[in-house]
Amino acid sequence: MSGFYINWSGELVAFFAFAVIMIVGAVLMLTLTKVVHMVVSLAAVFLGLGGMFVVLEAEFVAFVQVLIYAGAITILMIFGIMMTHHQAVQHEPARPVHEIVSAVASILLFGILFYAIRTTEFEPSAPPLQAGVDNAMEIGKQLYTQHVIPFELVSVLLTVAFIGAIVIAKKEAE
Amino acid sequence: MATVYSQYAWLVPVFPLAAFLILTAFGRGLKQTGAIVAVLGSFGALALSALVLIEHLGGADEYNDSFHWIKIGGYALTAGFDVTNLTALMLVVVSLVAFLVNIYSMGYMKDDERMTVFFGYVALFTFSMLGLVLADNLLTLYIFWELVGVCSFLLIGFWYQKPEAKAAAKKAFIVTRIGDVGLLIALLLLFWYMPDHDLSFAAIENVFGQTGLITEGITTLIAILIFVGAVGKSGQFPLHVWLPDAMEGPTPISALIHAATMVAAGVFLVARTFPIFEASQAALDTVAWVGAFTAIFAASIAIAQNDIKRILAYSTVSQLGYMMMAIGLGSVTAGMFHLFTHAFFKALLFLGAGSVIHAVHTQDIHEMGGLGKTMKTTAWTFAIGALALAGIPPLSGFWSKDAILAEALHANPALFVVGIAAAFLTALYMSRLFFLVFAGNPKAGGEAHESPATMTVPLIVLAVLAVIAGFVEMPFSGTGWFGEWLTGHAAEHEGAALVMLVSTAIGLLGIYLGWLIYVKGAISRDVVTSRAPWLTRMLERKYYIDEIYHAVFTVSLRAIGRACDAFDRHVVGGAVRLAGGAAFWTGRAATRMQSGQPQSYGLYVVIGLVILVAAIAGRRFW
Amino acid sequence: MLSSYLTMAAILFCIGLYGALSKRNAVIVLMSVELMLNAVNLNLVAFSKYGVLPSLTGQIFSLFTISVAAAEVAVGVAILIALFRARGVVNVDEFNEMRR
Repeated sequence: MSGFYINWSGELVAFFAFAVIMIVGAVLMLTLTKVVHMVVSLAAVFLGLGGMFVVLEAEFVAFVQVLIYAGAITILMIFGIMMTHHQAVQHEPARPVHEIVSAVASILLFGILFYAIRTTEFEPSAPPLQAGVDNAMEIGKQLYTQHVIPFELVSVLLTVAFIGAIVIAKKEAE
Repeated sequence: MATVYSQYAWLVPVFPLAAFLILTAFGRGLKQTGAIVAVLGSFGALALSALVLIEHLGGADEYNDSFHWIKIGGYALTAGFDVTNLTALMLVVVSLVAFLVNIYSMGYMKDDERMTVFFGYVALFTFSMLGLVLADNLLTLYIFWELVGVCSFLLIGFWYQKPEAKAAAKKAFIVTRIGDVGLLIALLLLFWYMPDHDLSFAAIENVFGQTGLITEGITTLIAILIFVGAVGKSGQFPLHVWLPDAMEGPTPISALIHAATMVAAGVFLVARTFPIFEASQAALDTVAWVGAFTAIFAASIAIAQNDIKRILAYSTVSQLGYMMMAIGLGSVTAGMFHLFTHAFFKALLFLGAGSVIHAVHTQDIHEMGGLGKTMKTTAWTFAIGALALAGIPPLSGFWSKDAILAEALHANPALFVVGIAAAFLTALYMSRLFFLVFAGNPKAGGEAHESPATMTVPLIVLAVLAVIAGFVEMPFSGTGWFGEWLTGHAAEHEGAALVMLVSTAIGLLGIYLGWLIYVKGAISRDVVTSRAPWLTRMLERKYYIDEIYHAVFTVSLRAIGRACDAFDRHVVGGAVRLAGGAAFWTGRAATRMQSGQPQSYGLYVVIGLVILVAAIAGRRFW
Repeated sequence: MLSSYLTMAAILFCIGLYGALSKRNAVIVLMSVELMLNAVNLNLVAFSKYGVLPSLTGQIFSLFTISVAAAEVAVGVAILIALFRARGVVNVDEFNEMRR
């Protein structure tokens, strides 16, 4: 933690690589003008995050991340853009004050978070979790034992959201 | 001698109080019956106080009874009543005049819509005045003192539809209040300096009777402040200005309050607290000189007035000055004697004036004339009152004025000269008034006719009293029992023969001069006006006292008020407007914040969160 | 190592916050919200490995978050389509129904 001494382990190299991908993707998403490009950069962020999950030895979550975010949600976004007939180019900001205040507020919030992270002492009571072996099986066991009720509730939620989305988006009957 | 009735003397004020309560509670439905209730109330007071007086004339002991009113720690404020020879006499005077005025008012106020209200006020006044007389300590007296002031205010402003009456009521209240503040300060000083904070008259007499208990400076200060209260109430210079204006009230009120009783309360107060004055020669001199100056000052104004009631009002001021002078000369006896006789003949004169006004519906004496032929009873009784006031023997005013003048001659010849001059002026203006109103030819259309019996009977009773009241104290040997009985000191008899001679001569001279001018026409009425118009104008304008007061007090007070108003309007009001404006504009800004756009709301939430975290975490650094 | 992940998550979150607050296009706002959710997921997974009490629960939680986010996006896009059909635009600053 202390000083600028950096231990160039393999994890760190991978972390930095993915971090660069994600930050660049996120910034591009906000700065690009074409909406389709924005979606593509967002997909880059999602993929980078998936890679970061792999570094964190959460292979199953990384798999789900790529499947759902980089796959399904990105496609949904593209569908949303197409369905709303969006003009392909974003307008110049019409509300400079609002944007500046938003930026300042976001930076301030980041400052606070950063300060909190730097000053907090995390002292793990156990060595880091080695979840790399049979990660999916362990998660499956826990999901169907300890967390079975939330799991079933999520399935209900997904069903409801699915039906609801169809009801909302379908054309009103003449 | 044992007392029988004196211990029930507290019941005397209760009768008019009951009448007041009945009239206030059921007033509207009563009408003529209301007058009877008031008359019965005052008659009850009269009957009981007459019994008390008879008992005291028979030599009853002084009686005092009091109860603890307020208890604070070890100190108890008492309230109670005192029956001495002096208070017994005052009780009878007050209740007798009140009774007669009540009867008179039945005729005088017959057509007034608010008659029961009027009788209610009169009953309340009678109650307060009797309470004032009976009070055994200064604080109780002060309460009743203020109560009579309130009643005076209510009754002067009784015809509140008239702007003059309203203004006069306000003036009376404010001017007497100046005096009342003096009395209040005196009261506080006394409370501070008296041993055991005892304010009762007995204690005052005790403490101030011995030297050294209270320093002379404080004694003089207290005495002067009490006198300031008396000056306000009794219309002495320089606070006399309210009394003539008070004549805007109904005439019976002028007779009751502003001639016989309330204005005499100032004299009574000084007489009651006389031990304090006695302990300070400076205070006595002040009282004597203020009284003497008021006597001649008011008498000179009375000569130039044209309103019948105002003439009588200035005459009252002048006669009250006489009383003050007598007390200032150290003779409570003479002062109270004059108060006693004056109550009767001045009430008589006012009621007579009321009878005249009732008949001719004007108050200007130049518009009257020849009323002696049509209003015989009024004219004769008025003549008796006027002669008594002018000091013609053997009427009562002669004896009491004589007592004062004899006292003055004995103690201070300068004051004697002033008194004689005032007596001359008194005789002159009374003859002017009488001749202009009752002699000569009728001017007011001739529809004047005699007033009803309810009004003339009180006149006759008062006329009889005005004749005989003086016989209780004559400056002949063996007849001075009244002063002895009243205060323990007989009136001054030394040089009485000379005084009697001079004052009679002066009185007759004044009347003769008046007769020459206003009946015979031997001297032109304009004899003064043509030679010195400024003098007449000055007297008519009452020495410009009102104007001076207006210029000095009213204008400066108004300027201060205006400054305060400006301060209030701009500084205080500005601050208020600033606060209001700040709230308003904050609200405006807050309204703009509510744009309805979720993103704005989100932004506010983030800003709020940042501020909240910064505030909580920031405390670490301080 | 944990603080690096947390800082990374904070950066991602704040970029997403800025986008959600400032962009006018509702679709991009929706994408920014996804970014913020991803930052949370990163936190959860990082804590599940390096946290004070390392356990698998963090990963399971992130799975739940992902499924809820998927449902949210589906409903969000459906609402956008319905709004577009009704109003012809999807600019966030033109929706001020909350004012009334």
